[in-house]
Amino acid sequence: MSDTSLISLPPAAEADLVRRLQARDESAMTLFYDRYSAALYGVIFRIVKAEDEAEDVLQEALVKIWHAFASYDASKGRLFTWVLNICRNLSIDKIRSRQHRVGSRTQGLDDSLTAQRQAAPTTFRPEHIGLQEITQKLVPEQRQIIDLLYFEGFTQSEVAEELNIPLGTVKTRARTAIKVLSKLIR
Amino acid sequence: MENIQDYIESGILEQYALGELSPAEQAAVEAEAARHPEVREELAQVQQAFGFYAEAHSITPPAGLRERVLGHVMAQIAAPSVTPNASLRADVDAAAQAPRATAVPAQPTAGEATVRPFTPAAEAPAASRSLWAMAASVALLLSLGVNALLYSRWKDASSELVAMQSEQARFATTTQVVQRQLGELRQENQVLRNDEFKAVALAGTKTAPTAHARVLFNAATHKVYVDVRSLPALPAGKQYQLWALDKGKPVDAGVLTASTASGQGLQPMKDIASAQTFAMTVEPEGGSVNPTLSTMTVVGNI
Repeated sequence: MSDTSLISLPPAAEADLVRRLQARDESAMTLFYDRYSAALYGVIFRIVKAEDEAEDVLQEALVKIWHAFASYDASKGRLFTWVLNICRNLSIDKIRSRQHRVGSRTQGLDDSLTAQRQAAPTTFRPEHIGLQEITQKLVPEQRQIIDLLYFEGFTQSEVAEELNIPLGTVKTRARTAIKVLSKLIR
Repeated sequence: MENIQDYIESGILEQYALGELSPAEQAAVEAEAARHPEVREELAQVQQAFGFYAEAHSITPPAGLRERVLGHVMAQIAAPSVTPNASLRADVDAAAQAPRATAVPAQPTAGEATVRPFTPAAEAPAASRSLWAMAASVALLLSLGVNALLYSRWKDASSELVAMQSEQARFATTTQVVQRQLGELRQENQVLRNDEFKAVALAGTKTAPTAHARVLFNAATHKVYVDVRSLPALPAGKQYQLWALDKGKPVDAGVLTASTASGQGLQPMKDIASAQTFAMTVEPEGGSVNPTLSTMTVVGNI
């Protein structure tokens, strides 16, 4: 694992942060923000695709995270995984609530992919070793499926429908992509 | 083992990690993970992979966003929550794991975040309230301490002011005295430097051979000053009196003050129109109309 990765944050440091947050230490919130905001903002922005909305969602997410810390169970997963899911779900709710994908699915996908491509140059962090590796190691079909699942909030069946491929193929490609990603972590 | 592998490859772990499962399905996956280490490991791997993918897409938020967001978040988490705990819990649960079935019925959400209902439901706002109560108490104590300090400083300042005011009054008085003395000295100086004044040396008589004094006489302005160098000390109730002798006739020129008699400076005397000789006698306090010649101490001619 890469030393700078959030998912490999030293367990002691993460446990300490969790302890402080669960003890309602407000100063720990600043620390939390500084450590996780770029990753959380990256996910939120890629889902809502607008800076002002991304800011709103990030803010809303942090308040929810603060109030929900008491229920965070470290034995069930990393802190990063947990907060990532809160942000991701809030973002997906956001685009759903504004009926982001009204009309035909195909139209919606084209729009969203175009938006992603346009957003890429400003939002890429080329220095991020992980993203370079991902671009090199994931075949486009795999990456497309992961993006649809992760950043568009599609279900596996929706992806199958969207790409007009069997659900089994979606599952296989998704699983293969995850294996590739797992190898990159190690 | 075969079954477990099938389970792993069914794609349900990805669905779990992506939050596509209903709470019931979520619980089922968690139960499987608890039962089978392979499932648990596989699930962790899937979650890590998505986490890695997400992190790889990090975007440093635009400038100013940190302050705005943290400011709002701090204000919101600091303010006593108006949301009842139960509904807050539901809200958070919804955010973390609620099925997204409202918009897309076919895809219930189940975050692996698995936010559980708050057991200590009242904890968050209560803790926040008590934190603020503590902060307020500390602030009050600090304020009291500062007030006490300021009060004692104010009292100190006040008494210092009084001290300085009396000091200033003392200086003013001293200055007045000095000014007056300076005026007298100037006057004496003018007399001493004035050529019109004629210095008349008065020498001791045989009753007081060491006695010695001077008279400064201005014939034009008729001003007379006396300057004692040395005179015998007087018994109580007695005073030196200066006489001008004009053609042998004594004229009263006034009595000498005790300080003048002790030689402390010039003393202006009565104006004398004309004189050839000055002399001093010892007279009862307040002076005499006619000199007691037997007590003549000093005498000198112009």
